[in-house]
Amino acid sequence: MNLIDYFTDPVLRGPTIGSMLMCMVAGLVGVLVFVRRRSLLGEALSHATYPGVTGAIVIAALFSIERALPFMILSGAALSAFAGYWLINVLERRLRVTADAALCAVLALFFGLGITIASFAQTSFSSYFRKIQAYLYGQAATMSDIHIVLYTALAVVVIGAIILFYKEILALAFDRAFATSLGLPMQGIRILFISLVILSVVISIRSVGVILMSAMFIAPATAARQFTNRLSRMFMLSGAFGALSGLVGILLSTRYALPTGPTIVLVAGTCAFYALLFAPDRGLVMRYMRAVRFRTLQREENLLKALWRLHQKGEQEFDHSLLRLRLRGWVTKVGAKYRLTPKGLVRGGQIVRLHRLWEVYLVSALGLGVERVHTSAEEMEHILTPELEQRLTKLLDDPKHDPHEQPIPSRAEVMRT
Amino acid sequence: MIYSGHTLISFFGLFFHRMWLLITGQLPFEALVSDEIQILVLSCVAISGALVGTFLVLRRMTMLANALSHTILLGIVVTFLLFHTLSTPILLIAALVTGVVTTFLTEFLSKVIKLQEDASIGLIFSIFFALGIVLVSLFSRNGHVGTELVMGSADALVHADIKGVAAILGVNLALFFFLYHAFKITTFDPQLARTMGFSPLLLNYLLMVQTSATAIGGFRVVGVVMILAFFVIPPLAARLLTHNLVKLIWLSVAIAVSSVVIGVALSRHCLTCFGVGLSTGGLVVCVLGLIYGCVALTNRLSKTILAPS
Repeated sequence: MNLIDYFTDPVLRGPTIGSMLMCMVAGLVGVLVFVRRRSLLGEALSHATYPGVTGAIVIAALFSIERALPFMILSGAALSAFAGYWLINVLERRLRVTADAALCAVLALFFGLGITIASFAQTSFSSYFRKIQAYLYGQAATMSDIHIVLYTALAVVVIGAIILFYKEILALAFDRAFATSLGLPMQGIRILFISLVILSVVISIRSVGVILMSAMFIAPATAARQFTNRLSRMFMLSGAFGALSGLVGILLSTRYALPTGPTIVLVAGTCAFYALLFAPDRGLVMRYMRAVRFRTLQREENLLKALWRLHQKGEQEFDHSLLRLRLRGWVTKVGAKYRLTPKGLVRGGQIVRLHRLWEVYLVSALGLGVERVHTSAEEMEHILTPELEQRLTKLLDDPKHDPHEQPIPSRAEVMRT
Repeated sequence: MIYSGHTLISFFGLFFHRMWLLITGQLPFEALVSDEIQILVLSCVAISGALVGTFLVLRRMTMLANALSHTILLGIVVTFLLFHTLSTPILLIAALVTGVVTTFLTEFLSKVIKLQEDASIGLIFSIFFALGIVLVSLFSRNGHVGTELVMGSADALVHADIKGVAAILGVNLALFFFLYHAFKITTFDPQLARTMGFSPLLLNYLLMVQTSATAIGGFRVVGVVMILAFFVIPPLAARLLTHNLVKLIWLSVAIAVSSVVIGVALSRHCLTCFGVGLSTGGLVVCVLGLIYGCVALTNRLSKTILAPS
């Protein structure tokens, strides 16, 4: 079965296109939630839809209205999600519950209510119970062409709202004070925000399920954030990541008979982790490699700088300086390669030890600021005698690190005569 | 079945009578029946949850608890695949590892990769949970496991389960008894705690391990999501009634245990009077919610009545 079949086959195209639409919408709205730093709101609200879903199915079963079921489920889910949001606000504002506890309380309570209703359905209308189960982990397989139409319409609404209110979203996300001063209706924007979140939760729980819904808000947006600093591009990328996760998730879950929702979430999560580690600008591995490259460059250029300064004194002086180092027995030339001699190693370590010891002395004994000790130490490293070194070591209790947290070469290593 | 045919009130009468017989030794432990096992197991979970939850709420760490209640699934699955057993000591080790790994990874994402804290928590637990579910369905090829994980199955409990959750409760009680001072100071004044030699970070990890142990004890009964209600609701309700930490803990425990008893009794009542078997875990959570609602309402009413005087 090739990829195109998934879009043309009358049985397969429902789940495939449906899941892609749902996950794309979740990715888009996920950006909104992400930039407002309310990533876990999706977690609470998706669980809050559950009593609505189960309630709608039970009502449909009681009055045996099979035909209107998809719409009843959608509106039931939306209603109970709004109730959940209202309760979160009451807990936070009226009862002074902290934000995280309010989210958790609503999540657990609504889910408990949903489970109770579900268990009622399990014993009373067992044929409908399978439908309820589908909303826990998502079940794309039973989606048909009518779902494609329904979800396309809902996706168009979400995309339209984002394009239409792009300026307001931008202002709300990044500079609330500025947005208020512009006279933007903040209350209206907040209602728009929460409506979009709830709409996308309601759309997506069918394919991902209420338990793992929040991942589809977080993962695509997290991945998109790694690649761009512009909000418009982040929307596009996140929507694309969402749709891609939906597609790949469906492919894997149908091929290996895996549960749909968790598979989609795993694909999206893999995307997010890949982006967190390897995104060109912000990825952790890339950042680390850049830091390593920078340190190498810094070392090379410092050496070049020292040679350049020497060269400024004239070419003769340049040759003489290097020659003097060789005559003192600090540097030697083996073939075409320069090497430090054992004597040079000891003397170099000595200078560094004296420099860092002096810095420790200035900071801990004289109370100078860490940033002010380097210049003085640059001179004193050439002046301090072995006797002074001995007394400093004793006074400072033989420190192992300087104020910049650099290691001090040990006494035994560099101070032998 | 001893309890079949009992309604709400007569359930309580019979239950407390039989518990009295159990305590005085006239009723052997093995003679306990399903409803009593449910109440005892759920009570142990509820007390553990209320104890741990009080500090979670005060430290604003409830979302990490939510994360943990999901990630323990992966911990349990991996443990089972490695050792082919789910005995209590092995499960406790799984709890330990899961608690530490989850907390560490979340901190890694938010501190090192500099992802928002909310997003870090959400990303880690949803991926772990998804992985757990996929592994379960790969190895068991059983569609019901996933449903049972979130719905819980109080009816499948046996006598041995009481011992497991009682052991977890014992560990929690001992830890809070001996480290009460440390927990209190690190919760309210981390700066002071640090100067006194208590590490808030270390206690955070300890609390997370306790959370995951409690969640592992309870997930079989109430499922991974509803266990969160046991952590959050009792302390929140108690918080409306008192500002004193010791009273807060006692009240949380009392609220938790009474909602367990009422929940199980309600479940029996519904079966007797209406012939519908409702999820015991779900009912307990609903009762918890009702208790919270009542406390919040009376709190508000008493405030509006007393305020003018």
